Amino acid sequence: MTGLRVPPGQAGSARPDEAAAPGGPSGPAGSPSSFGLAGWARWGWRQLTSMRTALVLLFLLAVGSVPGSLLPQQGIDPAAVQQYYVSHPALAPWLARLSLFNVFAAPWFAAIYLLLFLSLAGCVVPRSIRLARSARTPPPPAPRNLARLPQSARHESTLEPAAALDAAAGVLRRRKFRLRTGDGWVSAEKGYRRELGNLVFHLALLALLCSVALGGLFGYKANRLLVSGTSFANTVTALDEFHPGRLVSSSDLQPFTMTLNRFAASYVTSGPSRGQPLSFNAYVSYSAQPGGAVRHDNLRVNHPINVDGVRVFIIGHGYAPVFRVTDGTGKVVFDQPVPFIAVNTSGLTSTGVVKVPDAHPDQLGFAGVFLPTAVDVNGQLESAFPAPLDPRVSLVSYKGNLGMDSGPPQSVYTLNTAGLTQLPVAPRPLAVGQSIKLPGGAGTLTFTGYRQWISLAITYDPGQLPALIAGLAALAGLLLSFFVRRRRVFVRAYPGPDGRTVVDVGGLARSDPAGGFDEEFTGLARALEKASRGSSTDIPSLTSTTEGKSH
Amino acid sequence: MSRPTRRTARPAGAGRGVAAAVLALTAVLGVAGCATGIAASTPASNGQSFVAGSPGTTVFKSGTGPVAPSVSGPVVGGGRLALTAYRGHVVVLNFWGSWCTPCREEAPDLSALATHFKASGVRFLGIDIRDSPASAEAFMNDFRITYPSLNDPSDNLALDFRNTVPPAGIPTTLVISRSGRISARVIGGATYNGLKSLIQRAAAEPA
Amino acid sequence: MPDNQGLSHLSDHFLIVAVVLYSLAVIAFAADFAFGRRSPVVTRAKAEVPDLVPAGVAAGGVEDGAAESGTAHDAAGPDASGVGPASTRPGSTRPDSTGPGSTGPGSTGPGSKGPGSTAVARLGGQGRQPAVPVSRLVGIALTLTTAGLALHIAGVITRGLAVHRVPWGDMYEFVISVSCVAVLFFIGLMIKYRPYHLGLFFMAPIVIIMGLAQTVIYTPAGPLVPALNSYWLAIHVTAMTLASGTFMVGAVLAVVYLFAERHTRRVAAGLSTRYGEVFRLLPSAERLDQIAYRTVVFAFPIWTFGIMAGAIWADQAWGRYWGWDPTETWAFITWVVYACFLHARVTAGWRGRRAAYIQLVGFGCLLFNLLGVSLFITGLHSYAGLS
Repeated sequence: MTGLRVPPGQAGSARPDEAAAPGGPSGPAGSPSSFGLAGWARWGWRQLTSMRTALVLLFLLAVGSVPGSLLPQQGIDPAAVQQYYVSHPALAPWLARLSLFNVFAAPWFAAIYLLLFLSLAGCVVPRSIRLARSARTPPPPAPRNLARLPQSARHESTLEPAAALDAAAGVLRRRKFRLRTGDGWVSAEKGYRRELGNLVFHLALLALLCSVALGGLFGYKANRLLVSGTSFANTVTALDEFHPGRLVSSSDLQPFTMTLNRFAASYVTSGPSRGQPLSFNAYVSYSAQPGGAVRHDNLRVNHPINVDGVRVFIIGHGYAPVFRVTDGTGKVVFDQPVPFIAVNTSGLTSTGVVKVPDAHPDQLGFAGVFLPTAVDVNGQLESAFPAPLDPRVSLVSYKGNLGMDSGPPQSVYTLNTAGLTQLPVAPRPLAVGQSIKLPGGAGTLTFTGYRQWISLAITYDPGQLPALIAGLAALAGLLLSFFVRRRRVFVRAYPGPDGRTVVDVGGLARSDPAGGFDEEFTGLARALEKASRGSSTDIPSLTSTTEGKSH
Repeated sequence: MSRPTRRTARPAGAGRGVAAAVLALTAVLGVAGCATGIAASTPASNGQSFVAGSPGTTVFKSGTGPVAPSVSGPVVGGGRLALTAYRGHVVVLNFWGSWCTPCREEAPDLSALATHFKASGVRFLGIDIRDSPASAEAFMNDFRITYPSLNDPSDNLALDFRNTVPPAGIPTTLVISRSGRISARVIGGATYNGLKSLIQRAAAEPA
Repeated sequence: MPDNQGLSHLSDHFLIVAVVLYSLAVIAFAADFAFGRRSPVVTRAKAEVPDLVPAGVAAGGVEDGAAESGTAHDAAGPDASGVGPASTRPGSTRPDSTGPGSTGPGSTGPGSKGPGSTAVARLGGQGRQPAVPVSRLVGIALTLTTAGLALHIAGVITRGLAVHRVPWGDMYEFVISVSCVAVLFFIGLMIKYRPYHLGLFFMAPIVIIMGLAQTVIYTPAGPLVPALNSYWLAIHVTAMTLASGTFMVGAVLAVVYLFAERHTRRVAAGLSTRYGEVFRLLPSAERLDQIAYRTVVFAFPIWTFGIMAGAIWADQAWGRYWGWDPTETWAFITWVVYACFLHARVTAGWRGRRAAYIQLVGFGCLLFNLLGVSLFITGLHSYAGLS
């Protein structure tokens, strides 16, 4: 608003703009040589909390997130990270040094958002204080010459000046302006909620960050694969994966136990989407404490179970064929279900391995596929449908050294065949009840049945509710700051040359990046004019001038 | 809505803003590196199907360790056993699974130590996690483990320890003194000499 | 529940015809530029709203704006303050500034205050909307667009009926719905601001997008996978659809703004420009910028709400409200870039062209989020339905 003197201390629109910009940082005025440490600190602080810095940091935040979405991330898919190392052996270590495989936990990413929020806090807190103070200050007195304002209008009235001003004040009060009256003038202002909304939005973002930190420190996530008919307890030894927050120890876990009684999945049986899953139902029993009351529930996708503040989700499912292995000495050395992992979704063909490390005389290993609905397609075995309509298992048998007696832990889903020799067994898919007799008296494997398993995600996040509240507050603040506009309107009434009262109306918009004040002012001017018409029926003339530009 | 008078002030300022941001970033980098806690570090999924825990030994001063809970359960091979049956003896409690490589690696040492300390009255007790009875028996035969193990397919026994010194992964070995207090905890595979010295230290504690 | 193949086919037919109608509308818009004979057709005093075209609407504008009582902050400002007194605004000195064909452009200078003030003085009656230069082809084009929109909506609805749920469960449905929202928004702009000649720039991309949707990413109607079977689908994806459609409108406006602004600059500098006639028919650069800003202001809270709804849904389905899944990350990036835009708009020196560029970057991120992430990066969000 060039050319318009704005009262000092009230400068600035809804967001800190460059009102002080044209001279650069005008805080520590004076030549550079007179900057002491305090001067530099102040300059630095001003730069940090300026809008331009916020823009740059925001942009950096966005740019920094890009590699986090394009490169495989350690926290989401570590297998893909390993894959990346394999396919880009020269590039991968450099990327790892820059934390590009774990972008969102990287120090540089944290630096960006910490700085951004510092800048935010440094800007928002003083403005909150200023808002609190200005919330009680009345609007400024009306300028002498209203025609100089961006919007102005003039009309004449038959009422006395004082009465005209009263009428004007009435109109303005009805439109929820805050008023201040003086000798021959009325000053009105409204739209304080805009700044309030703006500040609430930015403060809510800060609160959101704190909530996320809260969850990250005190919350945890865990995974567990549970075969039907078995149960588990929420303790570290029972979990497949455990991702604790920084301040979480293993004794902080809520000690619930859960049993999977039965799992049922339904699929589309006909049409172009045949085989697509329709519903998953996991019938579980659980108790919050050992020995506590047992409750039953149906765990479904999008319907987690809340136990003692911890939530349990079903995030996957599959088949676990049951095998019984007798070793060379005739003893039963293995008799349990083995979870197999699906490799396609159309038929849920699943692969897995069976490791029998305590078989005598040689350790035994088996690797193969489980086909829920086995069909022969040109000599290849495939699964035609994900439900177990005709389950078959096809395995390759090995004996030798599984590599489990020493060294690094192995994956339970892969077989390290380095120390194993494959056994010559006639390839034949097994139906339930059928067996493989291993040559050389090495043993027997029987496919005794199958069960289903579900994959559970166990999460505890104490910062979740605060985050939700912060998010809602941010949204509310955002809406307020967008759709409330700050306006000032001044009215002056004085006796005119022909005996009628001349009423001058002027207005300006404190922050109006979207425009639109013009017609609002015009409407206001009309309403004021109508109000000051009194009982006269003739239509007085209204000349409206729009001088200067509003922005 | 452009305002020509303002345009000239911008170019220098934009560069200044960027410079300030970069300066501040580098300054904060060091602090942020320590401060990030939003995405915790994890032993991520690798198909191992168990949490290995960070290896280490925790030792409690004599008489200050938490009291071990009285666990009881079915024994591999038949019968039931309660920890209270060993009250008055030093007890070495080992959480294991036949499918777990580090457990298999430490098994010979445990077996040897059990034999070594049998005469002095130290009792060994295993708690077998996520194993079927067949696999558990086969493991014990394979490594010639003579001391009994409780079968804990539903993790109830592990849960019983949650208020004291919870097993924080597999394998975990607890050394319990004669008074029933936990004297030491080893996360990860135990070594012969390490565990031996912990047992001797526990044996030296008064009942 | 089995889905109805007959309704699904009906939906496809509706949408194909809609695309055809849109294409014809695009041709009509283009033909209008090339051949349209503009006569001052006096429009009905339907929406007494001053439109974007006019420098000469200073008169009617102020008055009709008054009729709105200043409550509709979205209403078009009397362009008088924006464009009218062209001589006082260095940014908009265009010898052939927009104006009714009947009155010469020169008369829309400061002199307009003369007749303007007389009209303004009369508070009583409502003036006729002054003439907007419009050729018959524009009318045809708009009719085609509206008819196409009706069929488009019918196509979306029948798709929803065919699958017994809200029709935005996979990428094809999402694209169809977003373009429907965009066209709806465009029609709304037409009614409110009457920038008829922006029609070509809006509808051409829509035609391309819908053509691609029907051919490249089409998926047959089918039930939702269990993970999507939640009422949150309606909430989250609806919000994203609305916001995306609106952002699309803003992006088109930003592109047109950039060209218009360049044209204005070249004219002000006395350089030669092409397509001067085209720009004469379009709203002024400032106006375009303002409307584009308003679309972002409208869409940004919806996008924010959509992200929050998505987070709540993710929390219910997967156990965490934010996991830096690629789609989540790119939605966040889009949000941040549009936040940059909003901040830039109130920062001196970043308005105008730079802000428009930021807006286009934001829309680019949105497009990448929709297409690139779902198609090329797998994550929890890959429900594109494509194999």
